[in-house]
Parts: sequence; structure tokens; C-alpha cells
Amino acid sequence: MKFLPFKTLQGRIFGFFFGLLLITQLGSILITSTIGYSIMGRMLGDELRSGKQVFMRLFEQNTAFLGQGARILAADYGFREAVGSNDADTIVSALDNHSARIKADLMLFIGRDGEVYQSAVKSRKNIDISGLRWLDPTQPPRDALALIERIDGQLYQLIAVPVTAPLPIGIVVAGFRIDATTAKDIGNITHTEVSFISHGNRSDWQINASTLPAPLAATLGQALNTNQIGEKTIDELQTQQGRYLGLRASLPSPDGQAAGVVLQKSLDRSLEPFYDLRNKLLILGAIGLILSALSSLAIARGISRPIKALAGFATKIAQGDYGEKPLIASTTEIAELSDAFDYMSREIASRETHILQLAYSDTLTGLPNRAMFHDRLQQAIIMTGRVGKPLTVMLMDLDHFKYVNDSLGHHIGDLLLKEVASRLKHTLQRESDTVARLGGDEFAILLPTADIPNARKVARALLSALEAPMTLDGQIIDVRGSIGMASSPQHGSDITALLRCADVAMYQAKRNSSGFAEYDTHYDHNTLERLSLMSELREAVEHNHLVLYYQPKVDLKTSLTYSVEALVRWVHPQRGLVPPDSFIPFAEQTGYIKAITNWVLNEGVKQCAAWKRDGIDVNISINISARDLMNADLPVYFAALLQEYGCPPERICLEITESAILDDPAHAMENLRRLEDIGCKLSIDDYGTGYSSLAYLKRLPVGELKIDRSFVMNMMNDPNDVIIVRSTIDLAHNLGLRVVAEGVENEAILNQLCKLGCDQAQGFLFSKAVSADDFTAWISTQLWRDQVKVACRI
Amino acid sequence: MKRACAYVTLFLSALAGIPPAHAVTLTLQIRDTRGAAVEDAVVYLMSNQSHRMPVKNTTLRIDQVDKTFVPLVSVAQTGTRVSFPNKDNIRHHVYSFSSAKKFEIKLYADTPSQPVLFDKPGVVVMGCNIHDNMVAHLLLVDTPFFAQSDRQGNARIDGLPPGDYSLIAWYYMRPDKDAGEIPLSLKTDTTRTLTITTRNLE
Repeated sequence: MKFLPFKTLQGRIFGFFFGLLLITQLGSILITSTIGYSIMGRMLGDELRSGKQVFMRLFEQNTAFLGQGARILAADYGFREAVGSNDADTIVSALDNHSARIKADLMLFIGRDGEVYQSAVKSRKNIDISGLRWLDPTQPPRDALALIERIDGQLYQLIAVPVTAPLPIGIVVAGFRIDATTAKDIGNITHTEVSFISHGNRSDWQINASTLPAPLAATLGQALNTNQIGEKTIDELQTQQGRYLGLRASLPSPDGQAAGVVLQKSLDRSLEPFYDLRNKLLILGAIGLILSALSSLAIARGISRPIKALAGFATKIAQGDYGEKPLIASTTEIAELSDAFDYMSREIASRETHILQLAYSDTLTGLPNRAMFHDRLQQAIIMTGRVGKPLTVMLMDLDHFKYVNDSLGHHIGDLLLKEVASRLKHTLQRESDTVARLGGDEFAILLPTADIPNARKVARALLSALEAPMTLDGQIIDVRGSIGMASSPQHGSDITALLRCADVAMYQAKRNSSGFAEYDTHYDHNTLERLSLMSELREAVEHNHLVLYYQPKVDLKTSLTYSVEALVRWVHPQRGLVPPDSFIPFAEQTGYIKAITNWVLNEGVKQCAAWKRDGIDVNISINISARDLMNADLPVYFAALLQEYGCPPERICLEITESAILDDPAHAMENLRRLEDIGCKLSIDDYGTGYSSLAYLKRLPVGELKIDRSFVMNMMNDPNDVIIVRSTIDLAHNLGLRVVAEGVENEAILNQLCKLGCDQAQGFLFSKAVSADDFTAWISTQLWRDQVKVACRI
Repeated sequence: MKRACAYVTLFLSALAGIPPAHAVTLTLQIRDTRGAAVEDAVVYLMSNQSHRMPVKNTTLRIDQVDKTFVPLVSVAQTGTRVSFPNKDNIRHHVYSFSSAKKFEIKLYADTPSQPVLFDKPGVVVMGCNIHDNMVAHLLLVDTPFFAQSDRQGNARIDGLPPGDYSLIAWYYMRPDKDAGEIPLSLKTDTTRTLTITTRNLE
């Protein structure tokens, strides 16, 4: 395509102007030539016609002059007397005299009897006048008779005049010879080529006298004999010396002969000025074409070069290079176009920046988003690899954010996120630290130069920054977050691994309500282990490697009622007993908890039914995770289990953590109702570690509240914990709830709980979690009764 | 060259009685070939003695009136004197180059003092050197017996002694034609019709 010149703007402009001028020039030259030719032809025609008139006039004048001379002679008395007396000498001398007077080339007298007397002045030699036989001296012309006649090979203009005395006695003939000189003289007057022509009886035209050079005269003769020169028309004749326009006129001649004159003008000679003009036009045209070619090239390049520059500019823009616009000294339009390009470039750049911001930042909080965080983390990992200094990644999410969102609205939720973002951002001290929002209530913090001890300080600072209550739209809201920390290279050298570790740690922190936690291989060894853990866990469920252990709960009021909390244990074929902390959080993260819960429910209900059959009257508490609570299928499955094993629903108590409800209260509440409808009991687990929202507590269809072991175990050391426990017990009782205390490890605690009116107690004091068989054995010992009786003084 | 035969045909239409011993009269009716009367034709009779006979009228007058010779055609016996009275108020120059009589009367007015004597027979054509159109024809004959036809084409010759004659006709328009002679024996008054050719026959 490049080779087609007219595909380019430059080529088109050039082609257009050049072509236009070429056509104009050629046209003007053509028109000039054509008009010149036609004008010249017409002018020549007119000149020839007027030349003919001039010629005729001359011819008539000559005739008149001749006639006058002849008539003078014819009328001369002496001459007539000489004729009358047949005085030959006198006649001849008179002829001589008169022919000299009018400078005639021929003068003669023909007597009535046919005798001829001839003047001998011009030519001593007598002219053969046999050609004049047509003149009958007995019947002379009445008046002068003018003729062109060929005599003796020469053409003569003759006039014959009668001589009377008073009757005719003879004829005087006077003549001028027509020769080249005559033709030349006439030609000088008419400004034409003059050729005298004649032909005799049945003979060809001859050129008798001509101003033409011999070869042209010959050409003319041929043309005459082929009738190429008409009488009435202007005819063109091609000769060796160019084109001639010619006009023929007949001259009076004797019968049987013809005479005439051809006037000609050289068309080419007349056209010479036009040819000259044409040549000048050609030169001018050529110069014009060259100039126009150069200037149109210049214009075209003046247009196309800036366009090319702009095209280059545009290509650069396309490649993301928003440099300066090309400096183009050009026309206003191009300059405007250039400015427009520049403006466009800047706009694109700013929009790109904006898009990048959108792409790399979170619109709500203005913090970097996940993509940017990943980028920075990637950079930081590379830097870490290079410099050898560790980095730390934190993941933080807000506890019970869903609760805030659901109860106070998304608007408040958004304000909360913004406020949190702002506080996090202001808490970070180093420029290089990054806080990003990954989505929802999940934030990530990158500390590119901090090891875990440093990170701990930062985490504490962040958490304490969130502690101050927030006032959002007039609502005072408390927010807490859980932070998980992972460090590179210690915990991994790629983004996915680090974030996963941080995530595991965060979950741990949340689970422990510890605010923050660093990743520990204890939680999660490594990715491969996790993967194998996953498949092993699945295998465990399928092959019954899981077992339920039961920890008894002792009724402090009666010391009679038996109830147990079912706790899952994994008897790994290679590792032995795996504690629940090692796989339950993982199962919760991966969603596999559902399968485990189902297994536990199945096993628990089956055991409950078995004990019932054995006459052991035991209530079993089963832990339900937050995820399970969201599972709408759970009540159906649970009801089916009860049905299958024939277990009365009131024998089963489902323990739910407070936080599990607060994550999505609406769904949780719905499912709790359905479970309640089935007839089972519901219990709030780990009470006191979460929000401990009284509002929810009031509305929940629970019958039992379990005080978290952290308060119970610490009661003997911290009076505040005693207050918490006491007030919790009072609160629960006031709400009509039974209170269970976990973590009862010694008799002092038991004694205290009894005093505080706690309903049930669970702990190592009585028994650790044991297998079903061991539990059966434990019941039979009845040891715990004495303990209770002593402690509670029953 | 065309030598038109100038044949004069004479038809004798009638003979009237025996001529007396005294003079007789010849009356001729002159017609052209188409039968029209011919004016100004001249007829004359020649005999053996005619050239010896005395001149009957010794003077003749040819006037110039309105730049015209009057009469146009005249006939006279050889030896007659002709006067040329100029009736115009301009002058004339009468001349003749005819072989019968060459003469000129240079510019004159009124009647020239001397008449011109025409002493040889033949045709004399006279002109005026000033006025080219003026022409007069005079036929001189060696006989006293001549006549000139009138408008009706009649010509009469009186006082003819009975005898044998040759009749000759002459017409000025055909001056060079050989005059055919018609022998004629006249005893009494005779009337004849004479047909002449007035134009060249091509």
C-alpha cells in the first residue's frame, strides 16, 4: 500500500494540484493553438480575399493604364493617317513611341487586312503572336478588350483597342508581360504569394510567373491539376515548406484558354507568432508545473509531516507515553489539531490515573485495594529477598461487622469502614507501610520492614486506635478487630502463602478473642500439610477416625442430673490423637466443618439414643459452628437424625457461640427458631468473650448460658472476674436461663460458683473429656457427688 | 475569313411596253432578304458612255448638325465638289483617310471657304477628329445615273437614254462587298424590285 502514491495524503495533494495545473496548462496551450490556428486561418482567409480584391484592383488599374495608352494611340490622328496611307514605318514608329510611353512590353497594330505591325522597342526580336489569332481585325472589339494571354511562352496582360477612321480600320494591342517581377511587385502590395497560372486547350495548368520558389510552384501546379485549389474557396496546401492557404481567381482569357492567379499565404509563417506564444506558454507551463510540483509537495509535506508527527504522538499515547506534544510550526488548523491531541493526551493521562486509582484503590475508603496491595506486597517480597530484612503482613477484620450493617444499616456500615480506614491509616507511622481494604470488612496491612516483634507493637497500636468509640451519625459504636500476622520469609515467600498464613492467624485471633495473633505452624504447618490435612480429614470422616469424647457437666443444685458436652477427637492412624484446635479452625475456614458437624450430630444423637436404651439418662450438648448456623439444611438433617435413632429432642442441647450469631443475626435467628421448634435445647457458648449483647440475649430462644472459662478460671485471682461471673449469673437467672460455668478446675472455684448460684459446672475438677465407655464408668463412680456436696454444702 | 457573298439578286417583275426613243425612268423598290424596305441604299447604272458624261450636279452639301453628318449617306458623280457647312456652334475637324479621297478640314466653323473636290470614284468614309461618333459615307460613281432609296425603299433614276446598262447596288453597311452587276437593257420606263443583303450571312 505504501507504494501507491495516491494512498498518501501527500501524494493526493501533490497529484491533485499537479494534475490540475497540468490539465490547465495543456488546456490553455491546446486552446491557444486551436484558437491561433482557427483565428489565423480566418485572418489568412480574409487577407487572401482582400489580397484578391487588391489584386483585382491592380489588375484593373493596369488594364486601364494599358487601355489608356492603347486608346491614345488608336485615337492619334497621325497614327490613323499613317494607317490610312499604309505608311508602315510611321505605324511602327508610333507603336514604339507609345509603348515606350506606357512602358508596355508588347504593342502592336493589326490592320484590317490582317497585317501586323509590331513595336520593337522592348525586344528587337519579333514576338510570335500566332496566339493572337483570335483577334479578327475585320470584326474588331467595339471597346477595349482586356485579356490574359500566353504569347510566345510568356504570359501577357493584353488590351485590344479598335482603331477607327471613323469606321474600324484595325486593332491596337498593348500588353504587359507577366513575369516573376510582376508577381513580386503585386505580392509586395497584396502581401501574399502570387502565382499566375494558365492552361491552353486541354492542357494542364502551368505556373507562368510566381513569387514561390520553384519546388513550391511545382507543388502548386500539381495541386491545381488535381483540383485541390478551388475557385471560390480558401484551400490549404501542404508543401515542403509548410502549409499554405490559397485562393484562386480567374482572369479574363481568350476562348479555349484559361488564366488565373493564385494568391497564397504561408499558414505556418503566419502562425509563427502563435507558435512562439505556444512555445513560451510551454516553457511557462513547464516552469509553472515545476513550481507547482515543488510548492504542492511543500504544502503536502507541510500538512502530512505534522499529521505524521501527530500520528507518532498518538502511537506514543497508545503505548502509554504521555509526553509533550510534537513541536509543529504549521497552519492554525494543524496547530489546533495538535493542541487537541495534546489536550486529549493529558485528559487520557489524567483519566488513566483516575482509572488506575479506581483499579488500585478502594472507592469507599480511598485506601489501596486488593490489587494494589498485592502489587506492593509483591514488591516488598522481592525487596525482602534482596535485602534480607523480614516483612510482615497483617490481615484484620472487624468483629461482628455484619451485625452493625444489619442492625444499623449499610450507611452506618460504610461510615464505620471509612472511620476504621482513617484510623488505621493514621496509626501507621512509616511512609512505606500500607494499609489496604481487601473487601467487606477485611483490611490488610503491609509492614515491609518489620519483623514479628515490631509488628506486634503495630498491631497493638492499630487495635487500640479502634478502641476509642466511634460516633457515626449520632450513634456511638464500639468496634473491635482481629489481626492475624504473617512474616516473610519466615512464613512464606509468596503472596498467597503469606496472606493465607495471616488469614489463619487472624482466625486464631478471633477465635481466641486475643485481638491479634501471629501465624504459628501449630495452627497450620504449611500449604502441603494443609492440603494433606484436608484429604486426611475427609478420610477421617469417611472412615470414622473421628471419635466423640464427652465431658460431664455437673448439676450444682441437685448433683444428680447428668449432661455431657460432646467434643470431637481425631484419632489419626499415624499421628495419634489430634487435638481439635489443630483441625477445627481449618475445617471452619474451608467449610469442611459442615461434614464434621454432621458427623458429630450423627454420632452424638446415636450415643444419646444408645445411653437411653442402656438406661443412662444423659443430655448431650453438641457444638454448632457459625457456619453451621447459616446452613438452612441443618434443622432438617438434625430432625431426621432424632427420628432415625429415636432420640427425644430435649436430650440434645446445641451450643452456639455468641459471635456465631452476631455474624449474621437474621439467618442465625431463623435457624435457631427452627431448631427450637424441633424441641432441642439451645445454649450460648463462651459467653462474655464477644459482644454479650443483651438485646440479642433477650431475643434468643436459648435456655442455657455458658460462662467462658477465662472468667471462671481467673475468678480466684481477679475480683473483677468474680463480679463478671456473678452479674452474668444474675442476668441469666433474671432472663430465666440456666448458667453453666466452664473451666472448673478446683474446689475453690466450685465453691465460689455454688455461692454465686451457678446452675452447672464443667471442668477438670470433675473430669476431662472421655470416651463414651469411660464416661459410663465415670458415672458409676459417683465421685463428683461428694465434691459437689462438700463444695455446695448440699 | 468570311467573305460574305454579296450577291445582289435582281428580280425583274414586269416589262411595260416598248421604250420610246426619248429618255426613260428606272424605278426600283429595294428590299432586304426579309422583304423590308431598305433606306439609304445606293443604286447606279453604268454604260459604255457613262464615265464620259458630264457631271450633272457639280456641288453637294454634307452638313454637320448636332454632331452628326447630314445626310449619313450620299452619292455623287466623280468630280463633284462637296461643301461641309458646320451648323453646330462648336467646331469640327472633318477628315477622310479613304483611298478615293484623303482630306481634312481642320477645325472650322460655318462653311469652309472651299468645297472639297472628289475626283476619284469609290467610297469615302469621313469622320470628325474631335467627335469619334460622327461618320458620313459618300459614294463617288463615274456615272450621272444614280439614286438613293428613300424611307420606303424607293429609288428612281430619270432621264436615262434607252440602252444597255449595268445595275449596281451599294449599301453603306456593307461597303467592301463586291458589287454585283446586273445587266439591264432599258427601252422604256421600267420598275423593278431589287433585293439586297444588308447583313453578313454567317
